[in-house]
Amino acid sequence: MRRAAFGAILLAALAGCATSPYQRAGNGDDVAAAVARRRPPETGRRSLAFLVLGGVGGPRLAEYDLSASRLLWTQPADVTMRVATGATMLVHGAKPAAPASPGGEIVGRDLGTGAVLWHHPVASSEELFGYALDGDVVYLVERVSSPGSKPAGRLTALDGRTGARRWDRVLPSARVAAPAARGGVVAIPVESQYVLLYDGATGAPLGQVLSTEEAATFVRALPEGLFYGSRGVFLMGRDTARGSRRSPSYLSAHLPAFVRPTYDYDFYRPEQAEYSAIDRNRVLWRVTVEGGRPQFRDGLAVVHDYRFFFAFDAASGALRWAYTSPTDAVASVDTGQAILYATVDGELVGLDPRTGARLYQASLSGGAGAETVRGATFDAEGFTPTAGMISAAQPPDLAATLSAIIADPDQRFPALKLFAVEELGRQPGRAVTTKLLELLSDQKTSALAQQKAGDMLIGRRDAGALDLYRTTLRAHADYCEKRAAPPVEVLARALGALGPLGRSVAPDLEAHLTLPETTPAAATEIARAMVAMGAADSTAALRDFLTMYRSDPVYERDPAALIAASEALLRLGGTADRELLLFVAEEPHTAVGLRKHLARALAETAPARHP
Amino acid sequence: MRSRALAAWGLAWALAVSPPVLAARAGKTAQSSKKTSQKGKAADAPGAEAAGPSAAEIESLRQALLGAEDEEASEAADKLGSAGTARAAEPLLEVLAEGGRPLRVQAALDALGKLGAAHALRNDQAVVDALVLYAGHRSPDIRRRAVKALANVPDARVTGPLMDRLGDAAPDVRAAAADALAARHETRAVPRMFALLSRGDAGVAGPLASLATPDMVPRIAELAGAVDDELVANALGEYVKRDDVPEKLRIDVLRTIGRLSGAVATTALAEYLASVPAKEDRASKREAQKLLDQRGGTP
Repeated sequence: MRRAAFGAILLAALAGCATSPYQRAGNGDDVAAAVARRRPPETGRRSLAFLVLGGVGGPRLAEYDLSASRLLWTQPADVTMRVATGATMLVHGAKPAAPASPGGEIVGRDLGTGAVLWHHPVASSEELFGYALDGDVVYLVERVSSPGSKPAGRLTALDGRTGARRWDRVLPSARVAAPAARGGVVAIPVESQYVLLYDGATGAPLGQVLSTEEAATFVRALPEGLFYGSRGVFLMGRDTARGSRRSPSYLSAHLPAFVRPTYDYDFYRPEQAEYSAIDRNRVLWRVTVEGGRPQFRDGLAVVHDYRFFFAFDAASGALRWAYTSPTDAVASVDTGQAILYATVDGELVGLDPRTGARLYQASLSGGAGAETVRGATFDAEGFTPTAGMISAAQPPDLAATLSAIIADPDQRFPALKLFAVEELGRQPGRAVTTKLLELLSDQKTSALAQQKAGDMLIGRRDAGALDLYRTTLRAHADYCEKRAAPPVEVLARALGALGPLGRSVAPDLEAHLTLPETTPAAATEIARAMVAMGAADSTAALRDFLTMYRSDPVYERDPAALIAASEALLRLGGTADRELLLFVAEEPHTAVGLRKHLARALAETAPARHP
Repeated sequence: MRSRALAAWGLAWALAVSPPVLAARAGKTAQSSKKTSQKGKAADAPGAEAAGPSAAEIESLRQALLGAEDEEASEAADKLGSAGTARAAEPLLEVLAEGGRPLRVQAALDALGKLGAAHALRNDQAVVDALVLYAGHRSPDIRRRAVKALANVPDARVTGPLMDRLGDAAPDVRAAAADALAARHETRAVPRMFALLSRGDAGVAGPLASLATPDMVPRIAELAGAVDDELVANALGEYVKRDDVPEKLRIDVLRTIGRLSGAVATTALAEYLASVPAKEDRASKREAQKLLDQRGGTP
């Protein structure tokens, strides 16, 4: 019966396809009027977390009250698609209960008890893209296939308490995505570039957004408005009915390269509607709207990257705070008042979005054995952890947090760690220089991180840290004391960057010219640093280095260090040094490359002869 | 440790092989030979050592040492090392000062080592500077030879560099430094040697044993199990052969060796027996024999 009715609707829809179904796409009046119809949400402020549990207790769904810090209920449930909440009930996707519904089913549950209210099987001819709730109405978007017909998109409204169908609406395309709904308006992306708006009560079309420069892969309904976008965020309204990045209602945060700028998952991909890694690696954002124009709340975009949270100034990309969770955060949300997240081992934490201070903490296990949390959905709009919920709610020290991230043994985040090194290097203070030196000396630091730490150290030009450089340089390699060679090459470059300001450390640097562990590359940088510092007192060490290795086979292959030392002698030394260089240039056993270089350099710098 | 005053001039000048001389010699070998020959004659002036080869012979060897042929240079270095006179060191130091190819440098260092062993090496800054410099060469083989040569320089300034080389990355260099320090009875090296033994460094077992005080012996014995038993047996075996070890302690040490596994422990007991004069009757000798019998070994 249901199929027959839908077939009739489908035929009617196809009959009307002689003209484009998107003729009103981008009409600002339509979109503005649709947005204006939005009623205030019916639900009050809540502080609920829905936790998808696994482990030894089997697959379950639990509801947790954050304000009361207690578990309200737990029900057996094999949850697939994310939980969505209404006024008095919730829905989630579930694994197929019967062979007739290989696509699984949607389960409606009572919010207060978790008891099942209804099941809605997804037939083999249907592909569910997602659902959204507004009050206690469930909106489904599916792609429906009928024998002999092309697949078509369909929007269906169900009664949340009973699961009964209220109405269906054929969508103008089969290329559909999951919906968003709030305040009586349902928004659905189609064809990647349109967002269709419907009356939630009747299914009547209200307007069509045309995104001209950026795919519309998600829609999101928040108290501050309806949004769509992909690499950025459009606040739906007259300005963005024809979406352009130039619109003042378009937002895109300035984020570092390691961040995947996922403002929401791809609603065209049903698999992303399930709890997955997407929930652990995304941008958390809320906006404030003044005069119809949105701005990121507090000017911040928060990045959740598995165990790490970073708040960035959305305009400049400057890092404001960083926070590390001991274990993976499986899901997170910005409620406007707090960044809430749940960890894989059942910790529930709230952070101050402005400072990163931990405002709230609760544990699901309560000491009775660890739970495994696979995913979580928060219904905690406006939940504000109050002072006293947790003691010592101090903002995390940025340099200390970055240092901890760098030192973290978790090997999954090389790019993030490089970012942390870079950010650490940007922080002021002697402690940061100390940390960078530690990173450079630590054998456990990855090569890339060492390189980045070196770059940051050189770039700091920290003349106030000469004593640190000196101490580091004096700690020569020692097998007996299990001590590796200091990072001479980098330190030489750092001291060279200081110019004459670094000269007092020249004796400690020159000592490395005649140590066995000093690499040719390091020797090259030492010689260059001597020139940059104007370390004329170091010519003896340069002479020793040059004479000792001028005939060495290693430098025969690559005489760069010898050339650098000879250049330094030319610049810093006197007449006698020049004569030594002349000897080196003419002595047949000298490395060929050095001889050639010296012949040229001595000729070019020869003092003028007077008649 | 090189003095700053001399270090400021660099090795070439510290050895009185000034850059102008080097520069002149690079292109004018004959002329340079004349100059250095005169220099050699000066060394033979009244007051200089009269023993060993003549100044002309040394100059001839010097020419070969600084000549084009590596093989001839090596032979010349060997002859200079056997000359038994401090004057023979000068051309060898000259090679080090101007920096030659590895073979030539190695030969010069070995020759200086021989001169030192024959007590024919002057206790002067130039010698110390040259050997210390090459003790820091990138090549382990050159460092080892420089360290061996340093061992025989009768100058307290070499102790620091030798201690540094105990921390060398190359086992052969560490072993040579340990031998040198032991030969110099440098007890300050004991903590570092013990640290090396704790890391399983075989090359320090003997040198440590020759310097160890009685209170160090239990600490060495306690390494059994943590490092190869052979190392412990080797160190204790060397220790027990020392003349200054009290008989009671010697017996304890022998018993400790007896509890260690492996052929080295057996050898240590046998070597101790062999080190005691045949006619001498010692309790420790009887104990060693007993332990050896228990192990089924034969002296």
